[in-house]
Amino acid sequence: MKQSISQIKKSLTDKKIGVAELYSEYANKAKANLNNSYNYVIDDDENKLFIEQSQQRYTSGDNLPLDGIPLGIKDLFCTKGIKTSASSKILSNFIPQYESFVTKELLNSGSIFIGKNNCDEFAMGSSNETSHFGPVINPWRSKTSPDDDLVPGGSSGGSAAAVAEGSCVASMGTDTGGSIRQPASLCGIVGLKPTFGSCSRWGIVAFASSLDQAGPLANCVEDAGHILNAINKHDFNDTTSSNHKREDYVSEIHEKMEGKIKIGIPSDYLIDVNQDILNQIENTKKVLSKHEIEFVDVKFTTTDFALSTYYIIAPAEASSNLARYDGIRFGVREDGESLDDIYLNSRTQGFGDEVTRRILIGTYVLSAGYYDAYYRQAQKVRRLIKDDFQRVFNEVDFILTPTTPNEAFKIGDKLDPISMYKNDIYTVPTSLAGLPGISIPSGLSSNGLPLGIQLIGNYFKEKQLLQLAALAEKELAFNE
Amino acid sequence: MSDIDIKRISYLAKLKLPSEKETFYANSLKDIIKWVDNLKEIDTSDVKPLHNVTESTESIRKDEIKKDNSVDDVLNNAPERANNFFKVPKVVE
Repeated sequence: MKQSISQIKKSLTDKKIGVAELYSEYANKAKANLNNSYNYVIDDDENKLFIEQSQQRYTSGDNLPLDGIPLGIKDLFCTKGIKTSASSKILSNFIPQYESFVTKELLNSGSIFIGKNNCDEFAMGSSNETSHFGPVINPWRSKTSPDDDLVPGGSSGGSAAAVAEGSCVASMGTDTGGSIRQPASLCGIVGLKPTFGSCSRWGIVAFASSLDQAGPLANCVEDAGHILNAINKHDFNDTTSSNHKREDYVSEIHEKMEGKIKIGIPSDYLIDVNQDILNQIENTKKVLSKHEIEFVDVKFTTTDFALSTYYIIAPAEASSNLARYDGIRFGVREDGESLDDIYLNSRTQGFGDEVTRRILIGTYVLSAGYYDAYYRQAQKVRRLIKDDFQRVFNEVDFILTPTTPNEAFKIGDKLDPISMYKNDIYTVPTSLAGLPGISIPSGLSSNGLPLGIQLIGNYFKEKQLLQLAALAEKELAFNE
Repeated sequence: MSDIDIKRISYLAKLKLPSEKETFYANSLKDIIKWVDNLKEIDTSDVKPLHNVTESTESIRKDEIKKDNSVDDVLNNAPERANNFFKVPKVVE
């Protein structure tokens, strides 16, 4: 079984292993996976100082919360002096002159970055197949057709595969409609999307600004808590960064939860769901019921409209955010005779098919004559979705759903965009409502592939959500 | 739903789709717009659009100059530069 952050820190404190030795162990695996789960692996030389400083802190007995912990970083976070491509051709030469808020906090906590994880281009995808640098292969193989290369999910596919293959202890991802939770589920690890506004978006390549949220992918719930402790802070550079009171998300994670817990299971999520997925829900219910947790059926009225709402709002915001890529100030320029030709050529040749498709959808729904019918209507339905969740949260403390409607599928299998979009059916509603959600591995499918369950909490209830997830993780014993 | 004018949409998005791909994107766009059309079934006449999901007041900070970026660092990413400027083809005759 893989070691947790606490266990690794103990080995470092007890001098059973040194920071440099630990780093090499992970970095060597990462180097072997370059061009798969990593777009870029940082040179050992560049990390030498960080490694030495971390070791000194251990030697002096005064270490930081994530000291010496090797992390993978989704290639969507700006990292100062380190290539940041968003897995796009148009940013393939981009070296940020500043550090994103989240990665800065991770560095301040003593962690060491192994490299930049491959992802879907501009985080638009659910299989990591839209990356300009090629797909990521899921480290898991199915029992029935072990020769098939499977997708890791997306868009944080490289971040999920890297944790699952053991080339980093944990990784950073971003989640707009399920991009942390869905790959975590397909790779058999933990993925947390915090409440919108918890972790600053500053320095994250923007996809859909009202939805994007950073969060950890990790081997266990406690590790996700450690990362959350480091990154969940207010930031003046992000106007949507929340002012709520931050808590310690780890110190009481294994303690018994206060009061009687009630969990809602949305019956409308489980229509036409295959038996493997249903088993995950049934099993979770069974193991948690031992802990005086009550389960009730709940029903949403807006589920059928969530994906439509998302596929209007997210592309609309994306088309605006991606207007900045023009080949003038940074990124790849394609030559042209006039300024306008440079814009047209750089953008047309710089964006892949899925990104182009979403820019076109977004431009269409925002264009004169369609704005009210699509974009404004979607924003109104988004309020109904949020209200729907609040109504349910008046009855229950948490919601339990599957994370994905299926196990990891074969690379190249889902060619039609709509069938790909449907992969996020369980994660998108939570994102639209801005609520925190965590996916934890719950069992294996009949093909021997990992499946996950999603636990959803109310706004800023990450502490309680992680407590419940840690309990479910212990009872489901997936890692044992 | 009316037909989608893919030329107009790509023009607005500053994209120059190769002619062989125009039909591909037009059909794809049409399928997706048809798929999201179910939102029209919902009566939202009394509903206010939701922009900021946590509906917190956006935090305001003082507009103070912070020298986080040097001109050189920023311009190092420019495809073409001349002195302290981004360089583009001549715009004004």
